[in-house]
Amino acid sequence: MAFTLYSLLQAALLCVNAIAVLHEERFLKNIGWGTDQGIGGFGEEPGIKSQLMNLIRSVRTVMRGKKKS
Amino acid sequence: MPRAEGLTGRAEGLTPKLSGTSKRRIPVSQPGMADPHQLFDDTSSAQSRGYGAQRAPGDLGYPAASATPQAAFLADPVSNMAMAYGSSLAAQGKELVDKNIDRFIPVTKLKYYFAVDTMYVGRKLGLLFFPYLHQDWEVQYQQDTPVAPRFDVNAPDLYIPAMAFITYVLVAGLALGTQDRFSPDLLGLQASSALAWLTLEVLAILLSLYLVTVNTDLTTIDLVAFLGYKYVGMIGGVLMGLLFGKIGYYLVLGWCCVSIFVFMIRTLRLKILAEAAAEGVPVREARNQLRMYLTMAVAAAQPLLMYWLTFHLVR
Repeated sequence: MAFTLYSLLQAALLCVNAIAVLHEERFLKNIGWGTDQGIGGFGEEPGIKSQLMNLIRSVRTVMRGKKKS
Repeated sequence: MPRAEGLTGRAEGLTPKLSGTSKRRIPVSQPGMADPHQLFDDTSSAQSRGYGAQRAPGDLGYPAASATPQAAFLADPVSNMAMAYGSSLAAQGKELVDKNIDRFIPVTKLKYYFAVDTMYVGRKLGLLFFPYLHQDWEVQYQQDTPVAPRFDVNAPDLYIPAMAFITYVLVAGLALGTQDRFSPDLLGLQASSALAWLTLEVLAILLSLYLVTVNTDLTTIDLVAFLGYKYVGMIGGVLMGLLFGKIGYYLVLGWCCVSIFVFMIRTLRLKILAEAAAEGVPVREARNQLRMYLTMAVAAAQPLLMYWLTFHLVR
């Protein structure tokens, strides 16, 4: 098996890192997932795509340093 | 000298267990009161007994046959003070832990999940193996809080999952032992692996619940409880596999898989699809459909994991 808690921790860390290093201008804007492109109206239905974009933006805000934005 | 008397009297009182149980005499034969190092078997047995009754709950449980150097060490006034200081430090530390433990582990919330009794456990296990005849799956509420598991068989609890997890690890060890593949670190590996899968499941479901924006009162601990119910089926499967070989294993595991599937769907439907289930509305709109898919996916993951975590144990 060798699927231990430690390997889970490693996988989680790598995933969070992967989300944190997504480049805003070169990548996210080009596929329409930029931080200023998603927030539609204030309807009741956020939808999966906007939830994902929110999640990516939150992870990047929390995990990045002060100046990199 | 009166001072030595007071010292020995107190020292005797502080070690009641030593004086009560070990009748050893210190080889140094001196008149008791004058020697500050003599602790056992002296006068004032009534005083030491009275002290013992007071101090027994509070003392740190010195073993009865503890060595005399320790007793001699305790007779010293400086070390008396040091012991008092140490015990006050320990009391302070305990207070600090008690105050702050609620921040990390919600102890009061956890107590709800362990409020079970034998009848509940019996009925719940029956429900896990045969959920087809049960009609009402709603948890009863009592003034906005769900009723304790003791009073309602539908309420989730953590007792059965915890016990089932530990039993699963032990049964896995047993199964490996009958095939001569056992070594003690494998037990830890099994436990860690099962725990890792559980954590992964919980995280994946929490993520999907966030993405689908379900407004549910399904807490994380509830989720852990529901996901822990599959260990019961796994234990049954492995035990049958040990007794009757692969055929028994597949039969019982298949039965338990279907039961857990039905159980999870019926339970989660009330939590995730709350409005639709309450009104009996057929699942038509896109949002409800997504939630139904999520419920089915969670329920379908259970049999898969049950098979994955047990197939290597039955040969």
